[in-house]
Parts: sequence; C-alpha cells; structure tokens
Amino acid sequence: MDQHPSHAVLSPFVSKYPRAASGVFQAYNDLLYAQQWKDLEVVDLPKCSRCGFRGRKAETASHDAVLSVVPCSLSESFSLSWIHSAFEEFGGPQEVYIAITAEDSSIVYYKISQGIVKPPL
Amino acid sequence: MTESNERIQLRISNKKAYVWDVDDIATLRSKHHICGVLTGTLPHLSQQNVFLGVPLLLLPEEVVLLVEKELAVLVDDPSAHHTPDPLALEKWNDERKRTVQEQIAVAGAKESKEAGRSMTEAAIRKRREREEKRAKRKAQPQGEEDLIPQEPQAPLPPHPQSDRPSTPSSSYTYALLISSSSSSYSWYDASQSTYATIFSAQRAGVWIYPSTLYERARCAVFRDLWEKGYFMGVGIKFGGDFLIYPGDPLRYHSHFVATVIESPVSTLRPMEIVAHGRLGTATKKAHLLCGWDDEKKEVSHLSIEWAGFG
Repeated sequence: MDQHPSHAVLSPFVSKYPRAASGVFQAYNDLLYAQQWKDLEVVDLPKCSRCGFRGRKAETASHDAVLSVVPCSLSESFSLSWIHSAFEEFGGPQEVYIAITAEDSSIVYYKISQGIVKPPL
Repeated sequence: MTESNERIQLRISNKKAYVWDVDDIATLRSKHHICGVLTGTLPHLSQQNVFLGVPLLLLPEEVVLLVEKELAVLVDDPSAHHTPDPLALEKWNDERKRTVQEQIAVAGAKESKEAGRSMTEAAIRKRREREEKRAKRKAQPQGEEDLIPQEPQAPLPPHPQSDRPSTPSSSYTYALLISSSSSSYSWYDASQSTYATIFSAQRAGVWIYPSTLYERARCAVFRDLWEKGYFMGVGIKFGGDFLIYPGDPLRYHSHFVATVIESPVSTLRPMEIVAHGRLGTATKKAHLLCGWDDEKKEVSHLSIEWAGFG
C-alpha cells in the first residue's frame, strides 16, 4: 500500500483513523482517478473520526463549485448527529456528498442537503 | 363547552378518529390542509376500493395536531350514545314508519299513473292473471306432489307478513334510511364525552397516541411540516412515513418522502441512504430524513438525492 501514489497524502489519516482507512483510500482514489476531480484536498474531520475531501468536478457545467465528500463504509452505522457534525466540520456548506464504499470496491455517492430541498425537475 | 362547539368533532371509536360530517371533511381539507383517508364503503359493495365515502379516518398525527391547534375536539362516540327512554324510542319508531308510508304512497301513485298511461288492456289482464296464480300458489305452499323435488324443509317460522304487524305490508319496496351520523338522535349527547386536549382524552382512556418517543417524534415532524404549509399523506407506497405534497394531493404530486428519526443518535445505516435515495431519485422525489431532538424539542430535515456520479 505504501507504494501507492495516494499513500503519501493519506498516510497521516490512515494512522490516525485506522478504522476508516479502507473507505478513505477507496473514495480518494475514485474521486481522483475515476471521477477526475480537480484540486482534490484532504480535510480532517475529527468529529467524524476520519478525513474527508474537498474538490471540484471534472469538466462539467458546475465545475466551479467546491464539493465536500465524507467517506463511509457500507458496514458502518451512523446517526443524524454524525451527519450534522460532518456539515459542521466542512464549515457549513449547503450540501455534503457521502461516499458509500463496499468491500468489493464498488462506491456510490449520495448528496445530502440541509433542510427541505426540492429535487431537480 | 361553548368554545368546543365551534371546533370540529372527531369521533373516537376503538382509538381511531373518524369524521362523519362532509362539511367538516371539506373544512379540514380546504382550511386546515388535513386530508385523512376516506374509508366508507357501501354495505353491499364492501370490496370497493376506488370511490370511498364517509367516514374519513384520520392519521393519529393529524388528530394530535388538530387538537393541539384547538381546531378539533375528541368525542368518545360509544359513550355519547345514551339509553333512549321509551318516549324517545316511540317517537323514533313513529318517524321511521311515517317515512316508510310516505315512500309507499309515492311509489304507488307513480306506478298507477304510469300503468294508466302505458299499459294496454291485455297487458293489465295478463298481469292480473299472473298475480292471481301467484296468490293461489302461496295459499297452498307445500304438500302438493310436484315434478320438482321439494327440498326437505325445517319447520318454517310463522309467516313473516302475518307476524309483524308493525311493518307495513306492501308489494312496493322501500328504503330504510339509517343516518350515518348519530347526532340527530335525541339520546345522543356528547357533552360528557368530549375532550378538548390530548392529555384529558389519554387520562380518560379514550385516546393513547402519542405514547412513545417514536410516536412523539412523528407528531412533531408532522406538525413542523404542516406549519410549513405542506399537505401530508401516508408514505408507505414510497417506503417512508409520510408523503409530502406542496398543495392538495388531488392537484399536486408529492415532492418528498419523509422518514421520521426519533433521536439524533438513532442508528442509521448507509444502506438506508442508498435505498431511499435511489428510490426517491427514480420517482422524482427527494427523500427527507426528519430528525426529532426530544431535549431541544426541535425538528431538523436533511434531503437525500443520488449524487449523479459514481
């Protein structure tokens, strides 16, 4: 693992939050290489006991917006207060993306918005 | 009780609240955006499930809201029916007989008028013969050796027509009208069975909801969404607790499906996010996680949608 190009940037958080390591590693690599996000940075989220990410989507209409992502394994369980603390740690954005990772390397992203937000038409 | 007379009476039976008055149903819907569910069927069409009528059955959260907002009172319906005294009963029976007589008179007048106009002499004669034959057959009902095998019959009770002098015997049919609401009966008096608060109804054992933290959370979430102006319906068809409509459900599709979460620390599984989020996105609805904080007495909402990538 330490030969992987992502290891250097993630290693402090892997040792700090070992339980979240696999999800963090998987989500970071997916965002960087599969989704090809720009300016991807790692953010420490102590209240969520893991790190999260901030970055911009690849060439899309809304690629200016900086999006926040918190990784989470499918086998974990969490609570509303955990989600609220993720919003808090990212500095209170309108929405946070949750990257749900499974052991077979599949990953799915869901957008969680604060308040009652209408779905797009 | 003077004040509660202006409030809508929700009639409680077996811990469920019903509305029987169509004007009340209209008021609830148009003024208070409370829809409930119509549950009444016709007695001979009990399988019908598309066009239903009174009574309107309310969700328990709707009941709690209406009472807390002082828009309605709870009436313990069984105990509002008192034993009628003989005089009241006789009056009721006379009234019933009078309507039967009236119907028969109307039907008879109509038939003789139509018969005079449209039936020919021959048709009238034939009809009379037919009626005579029928009367003869009735006069000697059993015993005759017949080609049709007689079914072995238990001794019949005395012929109903001769035994019931109170029922006007006639060849005309008439309807027995049973009013769906009891309030016109003189022995119906709800004044001792009316509860203006949920607490008093709970203390009297008439009403239970809400009795648990989860039920309190549901009531709080319902109230919060109602105060924001939404209409709510049952959410089971979309896997949630409530469906949330921006206006009357007859005019609008719902935009949201809500799940009630009773406490900020209740366990949530990522699989729920995926399942609700994906179903909502596929049905063009956002899924709401509606959390209740019992300490702060606060409701908070989070909307879930598929991210559109990954």
